[in-house]
Amino acid sequence: MKNLTRLAVLGVVSALALTACGSDSDDASGGTTVVKLWLAGEKDTPEELTTWLEKEYEAQNEGTDLKIERIDWGELIPRLQTALSDAGQTPDVFEIGNTQSPTFTSVGAFTDLSDKLADLGDNVGPESFLEAGAYDDKQFAVPYYWGSRYVFYSKKAFADAGIQPPANLADFNKAAVTLKEKSDAKDFSGFWVPGQDWRNGISWIFAHGGDIAVQEGDAWVGKLASPESLKGLQEWKTLSDKASTAPKDGLDEESWVPFNNGEAAMFMAPGWARWSVEEDKAADLGGFALPGVGGGAAPVFAGGSNIGISAKSKKQEEAFALLQLIYSDEYQAKLAENGLGPANPDFTSKMGDDEFAQASIAAASGSKLTPASPHWTEVETTKVMEEFFGKVAGGADVAKTAAEYDAKLEAILNK
Amino acid sequence: MAQAMTTPDAPPARTDPQPPRLRTRRRRPAPYLLLVPALGTLALGLGYPLVRQVVMSFQEFGLAQQFGTADPEWIGLDNYADVLTDATTWAVVARSLAFCLAAATLTMLLGTVVALLMRQLSTAPRIVLQVSMLAAWASPLVASLTVWNWLFDSRYGIVNWFLVTLGFEGMDGYSWLANPWTFFLVAGVIVVWMSVPFVAFSLYAALTQVPEETIEAAQLDGATRTQRFRFIVVPTIRPVLSIVMLLQIVWDLRLFAQIKYLQNAGGTVSETNLLGTYLYQLGVAQSEYGVASAVAMLMLLLTLGLTFGYVRSLLREERTA
Repeated sequence: MKNLTRLAVLGVVSALALTACGSDSDDASGGTTVVKLWLAGEKDTPEELTTWLEKEYEAQNEGTDLKIERIDWGELIPRLQTALSDAGQTPDVFEIGNTQSPTFTSVGAFTDLSDKLADLGDNVGPESFLEAGAYDDKQFAVPYYWGSRYVFYSKKAFADAGIQPPANLADFNKAAVTLKEKSDAKDFSGFWVPGQDWRNGISWIFAHGGDIAVQEGDAWVGKLASPESLKGLQEWKTLSDKASTAPKDGLDEESWVPFNNGEAAMFMAPGWARWSVEEDKAADLGGFALPGVGGGAAPVFAGGSNIGISAKSKKQEEAFALLQLIYSDEYQAKLAENGLGPANPDFTSKMGDDEFAQASIAAASGSKLTPASPHWTEVETTKVMEEFFGKVAGGADVAKTAAEYDAKLEAILNK
Repeated sequence: MAQAMTTPDAPPARTDPQPPRLRTRRRRPAPYLLLVPALGTLALGLGYPLVRQVVMSFQEFGLAQQFGTADPEWIGLDNYADVLTDATTWAVVARSLAFCLAAATLTMLLGTVVALLMRQLSTAPRIVLQVSMLAAWASPLVASLTVWNWLFDSRYGIVNWFLVTLGFEGMDGYSWLANPWTFFLVAGVIVVWMSVPFVAFSLYAALTQVPEETIEAAQLDGATRTQRFRFIVVPTIRPVLSIVMLLQIVWDLRLFAQIKYLQNAGGTVSETNLLGTYLYQLGVAQSEYGVASAVAMLMLLLTLGLTFGYVRSLLREERTA
């Protein structure tokens, strides 16, 4: 009998202990203040930079312990939705995709940085990132780094086909088809165009002057079915049919795989994709910014992140000190040296002067952001754009599908 | 309930003829204490969220309310009205029901066939079969989903390669996930593959309980194989059959991980949402916590409705047993 009672007590205790496991062990280590920084993506910010940040921050701020956690892009939004609203769980400083910022600025998840902007430097940019981080004339999130998508190509494939890197978009489209036709390899792609890859595909819409949606008065109006957008979509669809053997339901992930396998002559990706190309192909790898309709660089989708302080954080001062360290000359230089566009343009030159750095800078010069609606994140999380491009690639009527998805975009953006 | 209350303290009357007054003092707390951890965890883990869900389903609750910049507003049945008048909801419900019933039925059929097969096999092949089924059952969800996704990969997948080798040239580079029909075909294969082992093992265990003598007697009386199966085997294993079917329906109605994974791998989200992923899309992706709660309530009612018959017949069997 007694044993049974003991057993029962043990059961209760263990059940309680199990449920208690989830609670945080913040600040438990005697005297040290734990500052939490959440960075997006498993490898977007190189290891070298995070190690430097940890060491430098703890040296400059005695009694602190900087804990950097990397959150996968796919989990970032759901994790932030729950963590940011709870003072016990929130990261103190967090990175967020530039186009995702408006979702959180509009609900007061960020600390207002308007008065402190000057302490971060007098020359913060890019402007479009600042706009994405502002709401009601207050600055909530600031640029962390910018990146841009450009074209990677095989020099050998170009030489074999007897063509030069293209000077304008029409040339590029032609080159992509030629590269496929001139290759003997089965299933070879002149340019790798996965069907659902809207982040790269959107460049063709932007290049012809089209857009995803624009604000007219108080309302967002879908522009996928505008004549300019349709022109770009038709061109992209032709590429998908005639220059690419990528799956029609393929995503923009790991587009370097077919290149590494010798199955594609060109692919388009953010600058860091360079480091995923296999070493024995490195000498063969070249890069250029996607050319515009009339030459120059086409407007591409501006990649990159913003960074801000959680409004619920209890360590506002420590958090701002971390933000200042990120905006320090040393860190800005390190970002640039690693191919990430620095928020302080004085360091852009540090990105180097090889063809990759030039392509990156050229591509960023005309880059565009997605609609700055607080509801844009929903478009991304519900994969509306992936669906749309996938359907166009799959052979659906372009104009009809575009009109249908304009309506879907408007329904979400105008909530 | 009344029966449960009296059982633990009902002492053998012969050895313990004490008056009821004393008996109440000697009431043993242990059995109830043993229930506390389970009930406590259940109340914490399910009770609180359930109450919260019911409350939120009557509120306007989005990201602004989550961050406390706006108060949740009571809007009565508005969320329910929105959900019930939205054609998307009904499309999702119909799709979920159809997929759930198809997958559960197929799982049951295959599971029964495998269980019967295990009874017929000699020891060595039976153990091989059991081990491979156990491996399928025990393999981690994401790992097996990754493998299945590779098998059906449009470019490098072995399924397309095999079909092309067989002479179906049109399957070269076929995107299985792009079309909702083939998407659910792939999803169905994966879901059934994952569930068959459980059904097969449960039914195999039940089959070992079918009395040999009855079978033999029936055989002597000239009952055919089909008759023996229908009139002796099935009635004997019926309780297990119905509880396994009940579980399958509940599991297949709340599918989430498999569908979500395939959607991320290339499916058209709006055309392949089942209740689980639709809920996720509303609640997590769009932060419409109020509306999502209403859909969750609907899903709860649907599950109860679908399984009500089974639960009732289970209870009846328990009573007659």
